[in-house]
Amino acid sequence: MKNIFLKRGTAIILAGIMSATGIAGCSRQQETQKKSIRIGVGLYRGDDTFISTLRSALEEKAKEYERETGIKVTMDIVDAKENQSTQNNQVERFISLGCDCLCVNLVDRSAASNIIDKAINSSVPVVFFNREPVEEDMSRWENLYYVGEDAKESAILQGNIVVDAYKDNPQSVDYNGDGVVRYVLLEGESSHQDSLIRTEWSVKTIKKGGVPLEKITGGIANWDRSQASALMEQWLNQYPDQIELVICNNDDMALGAIDAIKRLKVHGIQLVGIDGTPVGKDAIREGSLLGSVEADMDDYAGAIFSIAAAKALGQPVDETLKLTDGKYYNAPQMPIIKEK
Amino acid sequence: MSRQEKLLWLLAAGILILLFLMSSTDWIIKERKPEVYPISVIIDDSKDDYYQNFRKGMEQAAIEANADVRFITLYERNSSEQQIELLLREMDDDARAVILVPVDQKAVLKVLDGTRIMKPVIVADSGLGGTGIASSIGADEYEEGRKIAEGLCSHTGQNTPVYLFSEGLAYGDNSRIYDGVMSVLSEKGYAASLYEKKSGSSYREIIESAVYPGSAAAAIIALDTASLAETAGILEESDVYRRYIRGLYGPGFTIGLLNDLDRGVITGIGMTDEYNVGYLSVMKAVEAIETGGQRDSITLDSFYIERSQIRDPEYEMMLYPID
Repeated sequence: MKNIFLKRGTAIILAGIMSATGIAGCSRQQETQKKSIRIGVGLYRGDDTFISTLRSALEEKAKEYERETGIKVTMDIVDAKENQSTQNNQVERFISLGCDCLCVNLVDRSAASNIIDKAINSSVPVVFFNREPVEEDMSRWENLYYVGEDAKESAILQGNIVVDAYKDNPQSVDYNGDGVVRYVLLEGESSHQDSLIRTEWSVKTIKKGGVPLEKITGGIANWDRSQASALMEQWLNQYPDQIELVICNNDDMALGAIDAIKRLKVHGIQLVGIDGTPVGKDAIREGSLLGSVEADMDDYAGAIFSIAAAKALGQPVDETLKLTDGKYYNAPQMPIIKEK
Repeated sequence: MSRQEKLLWLLAAGILILLFLMSSTDWIIKERKPEVYPISVIIDDSKDDYYQNFRKGMEQAAIEANADVRFITLYERNSSEQQIELLLREMDDDARAVILVPVDQKAVLKVLDGTRIMKPVIVADSGLGGTGIASSIGADEYEEGRKIAEGLCSHTGQNTPVYLFSEGLAYGDNSRIYDGVMSVLSEKGYAASLYEKKSGSSYREIIESAVYPGSAAAAIIALDTASLAETAGILEESDVYRRYIRGLYGPGFTIGLLNDLDRGVITGIGMTDEYNVGYLSVMKAVEAIETGGQRDSITLDSFYIERSQIRDPEYEMMLYPID
């Protein structure tokens, strides 16, 4: 009797070991056999300069990876044109087309649950970027990641550009030399996590740096050049010869303000932006923009892609990137000003 | 209850069960799963900047015809070797058809002649035909070249030298546009010089050499969209250049180029309905997958527009198609 139990026990253990090694073997075989991956990328608005620069960098990363590893990468990129329901449908289509991983730049950061539900149901990992879902959403599944920039760091670097310029030559910022720098603020969408932080810390840094600031007014231009241009034109007419500094949450809005300044032929206004877009850098070279803060696009796109590729291949992400809390990554940033 | 009544009740219940099974399950009536056709699209560029309307047409057709379209750009623009490599990869892979915007038409024909993989290849933006090509969809590039040159002649006198800028006549259908342009310029007695970037010509240096030593006026025809965009960028930077360059003409359009046309940096643009090229390419690919399709070549009309016609309803739909 005892023998029978022993034999049965051994057989069960052996079967267990065999099936476990079999499964492991199979999954290893699956990993080694995967010769192509498919990644679906959803953008909130394709004509946003920062997003389109990031998109190009992402495409470059995919090509680099394909050349280096020989693994074919199919990257489908779609534009939601600022419509969350369009983006939800796009994600659904990506899943039905068999994408191995999704990279999503949310339209509405508070409406990620629909996408997350779909991803969980079909076991497709998601890398969110640029627009961070709320913490409750991010903690719903271990296969959700976020890549972005540290908004506080961007703001401090932006503030320091103004502080340095003021210290170097106070009149470069205080145009009328009355000892007070009067400024206006152009802010991004109120629902975007970065808008408030960028505004708050930029102003704090400038004040802390010893620049005597006085706010005239501020407005939300939704990261958009034309909206910023319209607001700035209105302020220039409303507060003639008063505005000395324009603090902008991004470069596109700074460029919009420059458009208005050029249109009305006003002088003596300094502007600072964030993003370091190619057009923003041109404006810095030209001298119409005092400075901007550039995220390392190569690193930013590289982080999004390497997480997506690792997840698509079923590999651990931590091997390729150092993530905060196992799911967050912030790209490094640096200030850019005109070379002297 | 009589036996007959019982039978009737049983029959009614049976019918109800049958109806339920027919409508709610696929045990009796099998629902046909729509087939999705994977189609690969390989363009001649490393970016899709000049293919926005083409993509819109392609995406619309993909929705209508149930196609899964994969848009592939090259690692380096105008690299024929890479394009051939990608073409062979896609034909060998799970794509059921390939749509190609050829860099080097001869090289494509040679490869298709030699390959054993028989999958339909649709050639877009080109009139290329031959063994292995299921359909070709494009404009009459020769006619487009003629229209662009006629546009130039209507603004510029024949004593003005004309510079022809091209990335390379060997790329795509550039030589056909060149032939069209030259046929008009020769007919009307204009002096034209060709500068190919492939042979090391720098557009900026050519413009500068024309403007500074003798300050002589000239006109430019770009023979491809990339050259048109680059030249427009150079002219935009300098008022001096614009004073001496009497006109800039060329094929293709993007939002940026239309803005340049609107601002007067570009004088005239030659174009085809790219939305239709993209749409028809996918439709032809699906047709070729489903039925084998007849070999055919579709030639679309080419147009020439100037600043005053940008908002003309005739062209508006073509220039700004709705998603």
